[in-house]
Amino acid sequence: MNTTDFLNIAVAICPDRELMVFEKNRWTYEQTNERVNRLAHALTEAGVGKGDRVGMLSVNCSQYIEAYFAVAKTGAIFVPLNFRAKADELAYMINTSEAKVLFIGERYLDMVRDMKPQLTGLENCISIDAPYEGMLNYEEQISSGSEEEFFSEIEDEDVTILMFTSGTTGRPKGVPLTHDSFSMYILDNVDPADPEIEEKNILTVPMYHVAGIQGVLAAVYGGRTLILMRQFEVKEWMETVQQEKANRVMLVPTMLKQVIDDDDFAGFDLSSLQIITYGAAAMPFEVIKKAIAAFPGVSFINAFGQTETGSTITTLGPEDHDISGTEEEKDKKLKRLSSSIGRPLPDVEIKIIDEQGNSVPSNVVGEIVAQGPRVMSGYWQDEEKTAKAFTPDGWLRTSDMGYMDEDGYIYLAGRADDLIIRGGENISPREVEDVIISHPKVEEAAVIGIPDEEWGQEPRAIVVLKGGETATADEIIEFSRSKLASFKRPRSVIFVDNLPRSALGKLSRKQLVEEYG
Amino acid sequence: MSQLGKRYECKECGTIVLCTKASDCDPSCCDKGMEVQQPKKKPSSD
Repeated sequence: MNTTDFLNIAVAICPDRELMVFEKNRWTYEQTNERVNRLAHALTEAGVGKGDRVGMLSVNCSQYIEAYFAVAKTGAIFVPLNFRAKADELAYMINTSEAKVLFIGERYLDMVRDMKPQLTGLENCISIDAPYEGMLNYEEQISSGSEEEFFSEIEDEDVTILMFTSGTTGRPKGVPLTHDSFSMYILDNVDPADPEIEEKNILTVPMYHVAGIQGVLAAVYGGRTLILMRQFEVKEWMETVQQEKANRVMLVPTMLKQVIDDDDFAGFDLSSLQIITYGAAAMPFEVIKKAIAAFPGVSFINAFGQTETGSTITTLGPEDHDISGTEEEKDKKLKRLSSSIGRPLPDVEIKIIDEQGNSVPSNVVGEIVAQGPRVMSGYWQDEEKTAKAFTPDGWLRTSDMGYMDEDGYIYLAGRADDLIIRGGENISPREVEDVIISHPKVEEAAVIGIPDEEWGQEPRAIVVLKGGETATADEIIEFSRSKLASFKRPRSVIFVDNLPRSALGKLSRKQLVEEYG
Repeated sequence: MSQLGKRYECKECGTIVLCTKASDCDPSCCDKGMEVQQPKKKPSSD
């Protein structure tokens, strides 16, 4: 099924239910669909057609959802961009995707104007907030478009989203995801809109993340009301849950910790919550234990997936968060809760392989590989990276190390490629190292992730200065801040005389972590 | 029970249809009435 039918179906079933709540404004399913149709017609007038790419650079907002469905209805490919990326990273993504049109949120307008000369293929920019000189205006586009239902020929196998993901190498990689990548998961796991059941989701995960987009599509198919927050702020989030009586929320571990540790937590009525989904980073055991006690009666679900796998491929369900039974069962459940990502969903096959590509026995660590109809077929215009991402027999290498127990539960054991995950955001050590090494006083540098209770991991730089040079940690951090997205900069720096290397001269990250982690 | 939003399954061929407009008719397939599917037992993660 193509994802635009999720909207059509829900409009038919619950036209008067609110679909979006955003900053005191509310739109029903029917109202949203009318705006989406108008925008789709306007985009067509602007020359957007099937297979074209249309970018979006904004924090979460109602226009994000409208723009996705409008672009999808035209048969074009939506390219959600990481709003934390720096100008040169954005230029790379916009140019690589060959985006024809770019929707831009208010805070990014000046930046895009300044980088426009680099964006050679971009034909039109659309300011989604106030009018901006030299750009089309979003509301004017909607007013100008026909309200007629927009019909186009869309195949289930057509790409609907090109999503960029940080990887092991510095440059983001484009992952083309088809309508089927999303709809197969949603049709298998989500109940459709029901006129008698009303649910409310709060969406805080950014929509440039696969979990954010999947959350939106699941909510629309389910006829739920989506309450959008530009960014997560703990008190605002609790106020919103209380005021809107939200039932479902998705949080990364860092957010959940902030909620349960907040001084005013007990002062809010959060009793409407029924389901809390978490994921995107390792959940500290103490945090989930405390959260289960803080939210009695709430179903917790740990969802694990990647952009490359079309989002969720394993879940640790509510029953796994209920620590009851015999002592043996309790021990098993506590172990799973501390480090398991659960079991594979029915449409995904997962196995653990060794370096030679052979399956390993239960409880032996190897690389987690996945196969299934939702898994990407390759990276966007990058045969070399695509070839590296798959085993010779077609399994996607997740780059996550882990093992499977005798009951089929999977446990994570670190990244195969040493990626640092800070608050759900991937940081490639190599990318940060390249920046630090470009500092005129630096001879060489390595970056490792160190455990952090708040963020899961924080990047730490281990730096060797050039002979005779002196520098402070602040100097290195400030230098990195100017050249990297803010979440990627190292939070601490250790100066050393040399870096540990193997006999072949390869940097020993393992030893670095042991000595400086 | 309103048909709107309900899924009906044909036990013969496995087809599932989703009702987006209700009427007095009962959906049928393979010359037999289709059965209403019950909601999923496990909550979805999204």
